Amino acid sequence: MKAIIATTILGIIMMFAGIMAKEKKPLTTLATILLVILLGVNIWDLTNTSSLAPESLFNNMLRIDRYALWFNTLMTGCTLLYVLLVGREIQKVGEHVAEYFALIFFILCGVYLLSCYNNLLILFIGIEIMSIPQYILAGSDKRNLKSSEASLKYFLMGAFTTGILLMGITLLYGATGSFNIVSFSFLQSDHLNTLALAGILFIMMAFSFKVSAAPMHMWTPDVYDGSPTAFTAYMATIVKAAAFFAFLRLFQVSFGSLSSHWTFVLAIITAATLLVGNLTAVFQQSVKRMLAYSSIAQAGFMLFAILAVNAVAWQGIIIYAVAYSIATIGIFTVLMKLKDYTYDGFNGLAKKEPLLAFVSTIFLFSLAGIPLTAGFMAKYYVLQALIQQGSLLWLVIFGLLMASISVYYYFRVIIAMYFKQGAAELNSPVSGTDKFMLVFTCFLVILLGIFPQLLLGNI
Amino acid sequence: MSIYEILFWFLTIMAISSALGVILSRNPITSVLFLIVTFFAISGHYILLNAQFLAIVNIIVYAGAIMVLFLFVIMLMNLNADVEPQKGRLLQLAGVIAGGVLFLVILAALKSATVLPLEKTSSDIGLIKNLGRVLFTQFVLPFEISSVLFLSAMIGAIVIGKKEETKNPLTP
Amino acid sequence: MSQLVYLVPLFPLIGFLINGIGWRRIPKSLGGVIGSLAVLASFCVSLGIFFEVKDPSFHGPVIVQLFEFIHSGKLFIPFSFQVDSLSSLFLLIITGVGFLIHVYSTAYMHDDEGMVKYFSFLNLFVFSMLLLVLGGNYLVMFIGWEGVGLCSYLLIGFWFKNRDYTNAAKKAFIMNRIGDLGFLVGMLLILFNYGTLSYQDFFGKLQGAQPAGISSDTYNWIAICLFIGATGKSAQIPLYTWLPDAMAGPTPVSALIHAATMVTAGIYMIARSHVLYTLAPMTLHIVAIVGLATALFAATIAIRQYDIKKVLAYSTVSQLGFMFLALGVGAYTTAVFHVMTHAFFKALLFLGSGSVIHAMGGEQDIRKMGGLGKKLRTTQITFLIGCLAISGIPGFSGFFSKDEILAAAYAHDPVLYYLAAAAAMMTAFYMFRLYFLTFTGGFRGTEDQAHHLHESPAAMTIPLIILAILSIIGGYVGLPAVISEHHALGSFLSSSVTNISEHHLEAGTEWMLMGVSVTLSVLMIAVAYSVNKKPNFTPSTGLAKILENKWYVDELYDAVFVRPIQNFSAFMERFAERKGIDGIVNGVGKSVRWGSDRIRLLQTGQVGFYIFVMVLGMITLFALGFFWVKL
Repeated sequence: MKAIIATTILGIIMMFAGIMAKEKKPLTTLATILLVILLGVNIWDLTNTSSLAPESLFNNMLRIDRYALWFNTLMTGCTLLYVLLVGREIQKVGEHVAEYFALIFFILCGVYLLSCYNNLLILFIGIEIMSIPQYILAGSDKRNLKSSEASLKYFLMGAFTTGILLMGITLLYGATGSFNIVSFSFLQSDHLNTLALAGILFIMMAFSFKVSAAPMHMWTPDVYDGSPTAFTAYMATIVKAAAFFAFLRLFQVSFGSLSSHWTFVLAIITAATLLVGNLTAVFQQSVKRMLAYSSIAQAGFMLFAILAVNAVAWQGIIIYAVAYSIATIGIFTVLMKLKDYTYDGFNGLAKKEPLLAFVSTIFLFSLAGIPLTAGFMAKYYVLQALIQQGSLLWLVIFGLLMASISVYYYFRVIIAMYFKQGAAELNSPVSGTDKFMLVFTCFLVILLGIFPQLLLGNI
Repeated sequence: MSIYEILFWFLTIMAISSALGVILSRNPITSVLFLIVTFFAISGHYILLNAQFLAIVNIIVYAGAIMVLFLFVIMLMNLNADVEPQKGRLLQLAGVIAGGVLFLVILAALKSATVLPLEKTSSDIGLIKNLGRVLFTQFVLPFEISSVLFLSAMIGAIVIGKKEETKNPLTP
Repeated sequence: MSQLVYLVPLFPLIGFLINGIGWRRIPKSLGGVIGSLAVLASFCVSLGIFFEVKDPSFHGPVIVQLFEFIHSGKLFIPFSFQVDSLSSLFLLIITGVGFLIHVYSTAYMHDDEGMVKYFSFLNLFVFSMLLLVLGGNYLVMFIGWEGVGLCSYLLIGFWFKNRDYTNAAKKAFIMNRIGDLGFLVGMLLILFNYGTLSYQDFFGKLQGAQPAGISSDTYNWIAICLFIGATGKSAQIPLYTWLPDAMAGPTPVSALIHAATMVTAGIYMIARSHVLYTLAPMTLHIVAIVGLATALFAATIAIRQYDIKKVLAYSTVSQLGFMFLALGVGAYTTAVFHVMTHAFFKALLFLGSGSVIHAMGGEQDIRKMGGLGKKLRTTQITFLIGCLAISGIPGFSGFFSKDEILAAAYAHDPVLYYLAAAAAMMTAFYMFRLYFLTFTGGFRGTEDQAHHLHESPAAMTIPLIILAILSIIGGYVGLPAVISEHHALGSFLSSSVTNISEHHLEAGTEWMLMGVSVTLSVLMIAVAYSVNKKPNFTPSTGLAKILENKWYVDELYDAVFVRPIQNFSAFMERFAERKGIDGIVNGVGKSVRWGSDRIRLLQTGQVGFYIFVMVLGMITLFALGFFWVKL
């Protein structure tokens, strides 16, 4: 709870710092310091909460448990890592650096709300708080027409989805007379009110949009491709992870007992997401666009956790969120250093910048789910969750098949870096700090691949 | 048929037909005017539901402020002419069919739904005083946290709207 | 000593890290020394472990748990190593042969600018391979399994400037991935049905009472899935085609990865899981048939190949087929025995061919060789020993292991024996064809090459000599039953793997079988000599042409799998790309002869189109959710 207040205040501090600062660099430094403070507040929250009793706040608006707090802490940590890695790129996007950072703090506020909401109102507000800054960040590069286009597209389709979400909430309210998500768990599974079922399906569609699951994924490639890369890295990772956490929270806590009604539909969505994401990613020429499609594909795997409705699913989503976020931020950082975002732009990178090529290899390994990287463990846990659920083994096998397809397009980048001739051109020289941070991130990826318990021992 | 029901049906038909008018009219200004009518009809519904405060706010904010803003924008950009490009009839047809099917699917699904019986509450539930009490006790968190939403929207307006200076004193 | 088992993979890992991080700065010779020493250190530790396991006082497998790997709910998977007779034997083979090949590489790769990088990859490979055989559960094995695949990919494509080589690397990778998928599914099935991946728990549960809800079909499914994994890694029909192409890598790599160690991972896995396979007799039949078919098939191809390494590659595929045959008839220890002897003589043959290629300045076509024996005396003699060993001439190691396989096959079903004997016969023929064409007769290369011919340096010949000695004496650990009652290897392995006992052959039958196979081999050597005394290389026709073209399997795969997939991909590309969606919309438009300029206007409404798709999707999903499926 303290973290929600803290992130709002820190965001406002960030805004005012924009008036004071004459240069951009101190702003990044300030943002880093504020994020460290925020991380501290999160840890303080975490140590003050006992693992057993979830705590209800504000007339049951929030229900704070260890999973939520731990997730918040991890996501704040990932944001810190993100700012450390791409802070300098954020400075290059445009004039309003302070505002960009302020918006990131507000997004975090939305993330915190989404991790511990206990009421559909808070879910709605949380999603909006998380989305509106994204629309702005997507369009922050005003010199670039594609960025404005991305922003507008995202906004229009986001608004459409907001309508769908509200419709779902309304229907659920009509069926139960309550916004409290715990009250839905008393819905009877054998003769379920059709109003409630329609509400559940509407909310599922809205979440599918937010996590870019097919057929609501159409915005993802355009928006991710058009937005400034620095912000794509954020949108594709932490924001998406938070949406997944909220998704899981609602569908496990509230609708878990009704799973027989929605599992099939969600399984179809999952299969379609995996298919569309992986197959389309194969044919991309631009690595940035490939990563956009791959983020759709990864969303398909995270949906496994939601389908599973069991305790392992929580662990799965936490590991997946962190593993995927770290690796994606890492690979985007490398991408930003390059001039040319196509595969050809990576040709011969291993000769020119061996370190850059090496760390990208590790990140891509992790995304592809090669053992001893965090990504393997993530995939392992969500698959394990789905296997324990038991009735969807066909989806497990389909997922494995798709995972082996994904290896192809991730390895194309590695092949370009190591096995192709060419002179990859860099946008800007890679500083010592960058190198250090990249190696550190890489180290995290491997560390979590060997000791995944680090992420779970704390719950 | 009581006066209540007459009013209800009148407002409902007005809301739906003017909403259709918003979509169907070619001229943007007509669209906006239809939208204002829609808002008025919905405000009427609020009054029927004993939500006087909401009705007033709806008129002041939406029909008043926002729609006037829309009108200004349309007039300033000189969009009053019928400039909307003709959409392909195929797409129109597809859109109508898709929308219609969605409507039918939901209708068919909800046909069998049981609706909870209405709870009769005291008629002063929509008064500002009661609303304020609920808002500041039970719903204080959503109420307060919305400020973050509006703050970020304001930042957005500034970030997107402000002209980027060509000569840049802040270059790092 | 066995508690120190983690040291065994640790040394190569350190070697990999040192060479991998400093590959630009470390001088070449130092890189080679670091790489070789790392493997030597592991070899010493392995030797210690081996003797400890060999000691009669050693009881049961030792599980060394390094740390907790996965702990979710009831499931607990540690990162653990299992030391028993099977893994300790593999440790010796990997580190021992691996060390010799490292030493050999220091000379072979000396002129290559990426030598330090090469050694780092090689060390990484040894590390992964050790993980594979040491793992105490299927997950650790899988990590090693993926790791060796990756290293093989890196090393095949090591000379990446050649496009064919990178294609070969890609092919190897894809074929392996198909196999890995089978392995993974098998692993998940085990997890799903038994809730554990640890060997001990799993086999314990298998041997105990059959749990409710698990039918005997489950055994077969798991066993088949794992076997699919093995066909990928160990190059069996239908996934074998990558191995011959993998010869694009440097020759020592072929010796280490594609002959001695990695390709035997599948055999190791099945031997490790013998409890499971014994319960799944149907799968064992499949294993035997696939193995036998591969052995025959690859042998026929090898007869008409002209590339020295390709002959050896197909011979490897064929020998692996023999090992699977042994597994399929339940003679697990025999398969392991053949893995061991094969590691010696096939590594020897590959390194010998490397020495030849080195001397010929990179030439690999045996039509351009001949008479090399005069200049490369050591290579010739050691190569001859290798050929004798693989052909199964008595006294050499291959004789003992191959004879044991043949005897086991005969005991199982005489038909298997006849076919296997035919494959063994062909082995003798193509190996000696290779030998005679390469080392005897007159030289058929260019003047330059003739001038350049020289014996390789000591760093290359010494490993050859050591391997040659091993190829001779390696077989005496497993004397046939008719000669000695005591089978040293069998009794050593008995604590972890035992054969399914078949009825014993009578001594007379066994002598007869031995006699037949030896006679046939000698006969084939004579035929090979007479055919290749005056070689002529006229373009072949008929069956020979088909053999030369490897039964057109690559072309078949190309036509049946690769091209349709490519066409499908091309279709998907057009369909899935943004343009493609427009294209379809356009196509529909044209088909109804609607004005094309109107349709073009659709392209401006991207967002509208997206939302349109969303609505369509929602309709479908709602319909599904409401009406169709109420689970």
